[in-house]
Parts: sequence; structure tokens; C-alpha cells
Amino acid sequence: MLIAPLLIAIPLAAAFLAPLVRLVSRRAVRFIPPVALLANLVLGGLLVPRAMAEPIVVLIGGWRPPFCINLVVGPLGILLAVLTSLVGFLIAVYAVTYIRKEPSDSYHMLFLLLVTGATGTVLTGDIFNLFVFFEILCIASYALTAYRRDKGGTEAGFKYLVQGTVGSTLILIAIALVYGRFGTLNMADIADRVSSVDSMSLFVILALFIVGFGVEAAIFPLNAWLPDAHSSAPASISAILSGIAIKAGVYAMARTTYTLFDTPGLWGFLCAIGVATLVVGEVSAYRQREDVKRMLAYSSIGQIGLIVFAFGLATADGAFGGLFQLVNHALAKALLFLAVGVMIYKVGSKRLASLEGLGREMPVTCLACAVAAFSLVGLPPFAGFMSKLSIVYAAVATGRPLVFALVVIVLAATVVEGGYFFRLIQMLYFRKRRDLDPVGEAPLSQLAPVVVLGVLIVVIGLFPQVLTPVLRGGADELFHRAQYVRYVLGMP
Amino acid sequence: MDLLGQSVYYVGAVALLLIGFYMVLVKANLIKIMLGISFLDTGIHVLLIAIGYVRGRTAPILSEAMRRSADTGPVEVVDPVPQALVLTAIVIGIGVLALGLSIAVRVYEHYGTLDAREIRGLRC
Repeated sequence: MLIAPLLIAIPLAAAFLAPLVRLVSRRAVRFIPPVALLANLVLGGLLVPRAMAEPIVVLIGGWRPPFCINLVVGPLGILLAVLTSLVGFLIAVYAVTYIRKEPSDSYHMLFLLLVTGATGTVLTGDIFNLFVFFEILCIASYALTAYRRDKGGTEAGFKYLVQGTVGSTLILIAIALVYGRFGTLNMADIADRVSSVDSMSLFVILALFIVGFGVEAAIFPLNAWLPDAHSSAPASISAILSGIAIKAGVYAMARTTYTLFDTPGLWGFLCAIGVATLVVGEVSAYRQREDVKRMLAYSSIGQIGLIVFAFGLATADGAFGGLFQLVNHALAKALLFLAVGVMIYKVGSKRLASLEGLGREMPVTCLACAVAAFSLVGLPPFAGFMSKLSIVYAAVATGRPLVFALVVIVLAATVVEGGYFFRLIQMLYFRKRRDLDPVGEAPLSQLAPVVVLGVLIVVIGLFPQVLTPVLRGGADELFHRAQYVRYVLGMP
Repeated sequence: MDLLGQSVYYVGAVALLLIGFYMVLVKANLIKIMLGISFLDTGIHVLLIAIGYVRGRTAPILSEAMRRSADTGPVEVVDPVPQALVLTAIVIGIGVLALGLSIAVRVYEHYGTLDAREIRGLRC
């Protein structure tokens, strides 16, 4: 019972430990995030079987659920929390040698706060508490985007801050309206009472939630900040923003739409907006021939579109495919940003053309890059093949004509995606290097996280059964509202 | 008149929110954009307080007057939950405002201007 709050408490405590440790030893600070997140990962792993058996409900302050802030560690929460810890841990290992600019303690502190916010967002059972954790995540992201204090970073950071803050404002207005209507902030309690009010009166609230969370999730008309922020931040930050931060927005959107307000009737809107995001992201990525990080950032928009499309199907199968794609994208895009970060550091340029012929110089990094790119495109035997297959399967299983039409567009967008990822692979392997100075392989501490992520992608692709029970449990948790309410409120 | 009297706090809150949205959307000066965000924050605070307000009741603080009135009947206070939410929201708002202004200072150092129309290093 006491382990679950530690998932949030450990990174939070470690974050504020960082400046204190710096007073003692400057060199020790950078080892705090890996150690803290490794502890988180182990604890999260221990909790998985228990959370799968029955959601763990943690009461804070000893009050009964409608009156206290509670944590709900169900299959969905634990899946995303462990994913956050895993990706966060690998990125933290990478950052040990990657982040050299002082003051590095503020980097490590903000990084841990970002992980705290993401973990808290997926584990909390209180809508205002969700907002608070979401803000912790967002504020840490704004600051980290501007961390290098260079021209691009500060500009991207300011844009991200303004757009993100307006989004958060909308979420808070929605929460105020929810409290005015239901007189409670507990998510299970709201879910329990939602059927007692006129569904049209929930329309404004839901619209505010979707737009507010949509800014952080980077769905189509709200994603102007993402290419700037993800391409201007340091590589390790791009990786955590693409891998984890935008997923928290998607999670919050799915949670409010399905568990909280029970509005599967929105499927047409969510599917359409997902496909629009997908097409815009993939086409922009294809057109981006100059800046490799910007290309990856646009690709993230496309992938988020696919995930929103899958969740938008409003079936448990769709959510299963969406969660699978979410895990795949978190691993693969984190890998790509980390690997490309090493290459950019070695060759000293973000231009796509400057990566020519690195396949011979950095064989392991480039192989991992190829694995991640193939996985995102959806080639067997990598994880992306299974996730895209399950999304298409779920879409066809709905039997709706509109969804069939959208699936065709999704598959066409995958071809575009293949186009730019194969261009990247071609640059790495089939071009001659113009510059003849040897660059050499990445240092071990940066190579190891990249390789681990690559191995995970292959393992999940070959043995999806290691992941499917948790994904299935998470997808069911989203739609089995009555069960969620019963576990949290303890009613018969 | 009575209708306006009852809903004056909501009208005020929405007016503040609209002023804030207007400033964020229309103004080109980064400092004015941050001021707009400050307006948005204030608007939400008023909205939250208005939702929890009950006419004629006192603040939800355990005071001497409340203890004395406890003998005479149930204590009449407004809903304390929105007030707790506002305290949290104020802290978050101040944090965002401070961060935004400090990033605006850095932007000025790089570009020599606060005009959003001239800050376009990342456009392509």
C-alpha cells in the first residue's frame, strides 16, 4: 500500500536534493536522476502484478475517497508510470555525460520534476490534482526547452510557455465548471454522477478539456509549438518531451473523454482530428529535408495523430492499439532523438546532409537508429508492426464506413512516413562521407541507453505477449467505468 | 437588476478572461502577452471563488466569532474547497509568470526586441 506514493515521492524528493548535493560535490549531482529513476523503475516493476490483479487505491490523509485526494494505481496507470520511469532512467543515464553546460544541477532538478509530473498525472484519481501534476510537467518542460539559453531555445521556450499556459487556463476553467456542476473533484465520484446531468451541459466542459489537454498532446490545430520546442531543446530533453510529455496529454484526454464523461459518441470527431494530425505531421516531416531534429519532431506529431485516432475509435480494441503504439513511439522516438543527438554532437551540425555516411563510423548507433525508424514505419518484426496491425484491426472491427475511409488515409500516411525514414537510413548507410575526419562510435554511457531501447523494440516486436496483458488491462480500465468507480469509492 | 446582482462575479470573471485572451492573441509585445496571461489567471481565480460563494456567509476560517455562533446554530461559511484551489492556482500562476518573464528577458538579449513579429529565428 505504501509503495505506490513512492513512485511520485522519489523523483520529487530527488529533484530538490540535487541543489543540496551540488553544495557538497559538483560531480555527484548528475548521478542523482539515474539512481532515483532506477529505484522508481524497480518499485514500479514490483507493483505491476498487484495493480494488474486489482487497482491499488491509495488514500491520502486517511479520508474516504470522495473527500480526499487519492491515487489510483490500475493497469493503465502502472503501465504509463513504468514506461515513464524506464524511458526517464535511460535518458538520465545518457544525460550523465551529455549535459556538460553548468549549472547542471538545475537541469537534473527540472528533469526529475518533469518525470514527477508525468508519473503523478497518470496515477492520480483527483481531477484538480491531475491539473497540478500536469502543470509541474509543463513548467519543467518550458524551462528545459529554454535550458541552453541560445537563440532558438529561448524563442521556442517562450512560444511553448504561452501556448501551454493558455491550454492550462482552459483546463482550469473546465475544472471550475466541473466543481460547480458536481460539487466534487474526485474522478470516480464525477464518473459516478455524470449520468445524472444533461449531457449537453457537459459539452462545454469536455470541449475545454480536449482543447486544453490537446495543446500539450499536440493535436492538429494546437501543435505550433512542438516542432520548435522539440528541435531546439538539448537531445535528452527532446527525447523526454517526445517520449513522455506529449503522452501525458493524450492520457489525460482519453481519461476525461471516456472514464470521466463517458462520451464514446465523440469517436467521429476524435478519429477525424487524429487523422488530420497524422497527415499534417507526416507531410511536414517529409518536406523537412534540412533539419533532422525538426523532421523527427514533425514525425512525433504524426505518431500522436495515430494514437489519438486509435483512442478515438472508442472501443477497448482501439485503446489497446493506441496504448501499444504509445509504448512503441515512446521507445522508438526516445531512441531516435538520443542517437541523433550523439551524431549531431559528433559532426557539429543539425543538417540532414551532414549525417551522410555515418553508418560506417558509428555502426551500433546507426543500427539502433534503423531499428527505431523501421519500428515507427511499422515493418515486421519490430514493435511498430504489431501496434499498427492492432490499430488497423481495431478500426476495421468497428465496421463504420467513415473509419474505413480514415484507415485508408492512415495507411497512405504510413507510406509518407516510410519515405522520410528511408531517406534518413539512406543518408546514414548508402552515401559516402564527404568529411574524412573519423568521428568514432558514441561513448559507452550514451551508447548503452540507445542499445537498450533498440533491444526492447525488437523484444516487444518478437514477443508481444510480454506486454499485451498490461495493455489489455489498461484499455479495459479506460472503458469499464463502473468497475473503476466501484474500486475507488468502495461501493457494492 | 437582481439578476445582475447575483451574477456580477461571473460577469466579472468572464470579462477578465476575455481581456486576457484578447491580450494574448492580439498583442505583439512579449511583456503584454505575459500580462494577458496574468489577466487569465485572475479571471479564473474570481470564477473559482464565485462558484464556491454563498450569499451572506463568512470566510471558512475557524475564528472566535464562529466558535461563539456555534452554540446558536450551524456555522454559516462559504465552500472552502474552491478557495483552496485558488491558493494552488495562484502559486502555479506566479511560477509561470516568473518563468515567462525571465525567458522574455533572454529573448530580448538575443533579438534586441520584444516585438513578437520580429522574433522569427525559427521560422522557415
